[in-house]
Amino acid sequence: MASFLLIRLLRWSVGLLLILFVTYAMMYYGAGDPIRMMFIQEEDFDTADEAVMRALRAKYGLDQPFIAQFGNYLHKLAQGDWGRSIRLQVDRPVLEIVQFRLPISMQLGFAATAISAVVGIALGVLAALYHNRWLDRLIVTTVLFVTSIPIFVTVPMLLLLLVLILKLIPVPYGWHGLFHRDAILPVAVIAIGPLPGIVRQTRSAMLEVKSQQYITTARAKGLPEARIILRHMLRPVLTPVVTTVGLIMIALINGSLFVELILNIPGFGLLTIEGIRKVDYPIIMAVAVVGTLIIFVSNFVVDIIYPILDPRVRVQ
Amino acid sequence: MSESERGTKISRVIDDDSVFLGEQRNLWQDAARRFSRNWLAVAGFLVIVVFLVLALIGPHVAPYDFLEQNIVKAFQGPSNDHFLGTDDLGRDVFSRMLHGARTAALVAFFTTIISLVIGVVVGGWSGIRGGRTDQFLMWISDLIQAMPGLLLVILINTTLRRPIVNWFDALYEQTRNPFYLNTLWLDYVLVFSALALIGWPGLARLIRGQVLSINEEDYVLAARALGASERHIMLRHVIPNALGPLVVAVTAGMGGAVLLEASLSFLGIGIQPPNASWGSMLEEGRRYWQIFPHLMLIPAVTIGIVQVAFVFLGDGLNDALDPRRIS
Repeated sequence: MASFLLIRLLRWSVGLLLILFVTYAMMYYGAGDPIRMMFIQEEDFDTADEAVMRALRAKYGLDQPFIAQFGNYLHKLAQGDWGRSIRLQVDRPVLEIVQFRLPISMQLGFAATAISAVVGIALGVLAALYHNRWLDRLIVTTVLFVTSIPIFVTVPMLLLLLVLILKLIPVPYGWHGLFHRDAILPVAVIAIGPLPGIVRQTRSAMLEVKSQQYITTARAKGLPEARIILRHMLRPVLTPVVTTVGLIMIALINGSLFVELILNIPGFGLLTIEGIRKVDYPIIMAVAVVGTLIIFVSNFVVDIIYPILDPRVRVQ
Repeated sequence: MSESERGTKISRVIDDDSVFLGEQRNLWQDAARRFSRNWLAVAGFLVIVVFLVLALIGPHVAPYDFLEQNIVKAFQGPSNDHFLGTDDLGRDVFSRMLHGARTAALVAFFTTIISLVIGVVVGGWSGIRGGRTDQFLMWISDLIQAMPGLLLVILINTTLRRPIVNWFDALYEQTRNPFYLNTLWLDYVLVFSALALIGWPGLARLIRGQVLSINEEDYVLAARALGASERHIMLRHVIPNALGPLVVAVTAGMGGAVLLEASLSFLGIGIQPPNASWGSMLEEGRRYWQIFPHLMLIPAVTIGIVQVAFVFLGDGLNDALDPRRIS
């Protein structure tokens, strides 16, 4: 077990390094000089003083060759120094920006996951209980339908419906905390993303459990149906749902990217888009580091938790 | 069918399961029958057919040039002249939607072809060679699949566009070949490649799995025992059996490519103006959504319908082609 986890850890670490290397290389050779870009886009380029640009480059260590820059970045990162933003929020430490932005997205993400899990598991159980009857088909089809509409279509359509036609709410805009009215729409929409995975996983696990002999035994003993479902069925059903955590994370990241952009919520998704649009190296690297870590850690946690929840997996 | 013909047919298939149904059908006929019973999947199929036809002929039947601006006629609602109204520059929305259909279909088609070729080569090689080759190739594909695909595509498109355009400029300076002057189609190539990069690992995994599992089947063992060549086993057993899941995966991949293209252009990254794309039309329409909602509504509804159609088509194909469902 320990060696299995160690190999996993090693693999993911190599993967992380590789991704950081590729990201940095793509920015260095592809995106170009952010200082020059800054003067082209925001200042009058003719007045740009070559000496000023050189000084700025030196300040951010952008005057060094690629390998030196990348090594420098890793060295500083290992010491907890994420660098300073070049253009987005000039000269502010990236770590500070991430510490402000990430919690907003995480609150949205956790709230959405909670809703998605409760709704998804309930729908999956219901569908399995009514297997191959109209309720099952309705649930499966509706989930498929709702989740196949892209999030950047859902949000504008909901805005049209709720704001313009029904006049139920004012335009949600920005971030005023998770318990503010404006957080309802983003949380609800982000929650749609992970739904199909959860419903499908719950439904198929439930179908498998339904025909187990201990369920028949429980029924023969005369236990009430609700108790059978809650006590005997749900636990083995919930276990495989844990494996979808990786997919849930990707759905959340994708969701928050668009939702935060459309509703102008200053979270991590919006930071990603802003950083990329302004070619802010340290921001893009931070996004790559955090994004990769979120995916890797969630996969890693599944590897650890799953054998604890399901003893049958431990045998291998 | 005369009585005697019927007799020979039944006796010919007497040792087959299908004798109970009175006639012989192969997997594909069987799948087509099951598919046609699923009306949602059929509806999805029809929508996709309409989408592809419009993409093919649309730009030729479009009432206006999709680039033609007329500021005087900006922000018109649907009318006889302009079936779906006009946008902020007075361009005909219907003509632009038709061009957007072509953009989406082009991206879906080329992305699928490229990722299919890479996926078949890598997956097949991985499955046949096994060992270290297999481990390495699957590690790479795992790594790409673990990434949020959208972020990867965004990164590729934002960083690689400029150097390639510069490179083409330099080539033009050197050769004076007008071929290098037109860089509009570079956007497309970049989008195809980026989408194919995240698309191939899924297909490679699928094909590797199929090659491995079909090679384990008893009928392949029997064929080997009878002295069948590897080539015969590949053509006769592995490929026909892998085709069903592949069709499902390719359909899903095409839908995914259309979605990602729309996402990219919605973020202002993929296909650049003046080329028309549904994603960028949605983004442009979003600026005026409280005053002229139709500009946002039309591309949004279209993207939604096409995505739903792809998903239901894929779902129906999956149900129809899954051999385990044949009972």
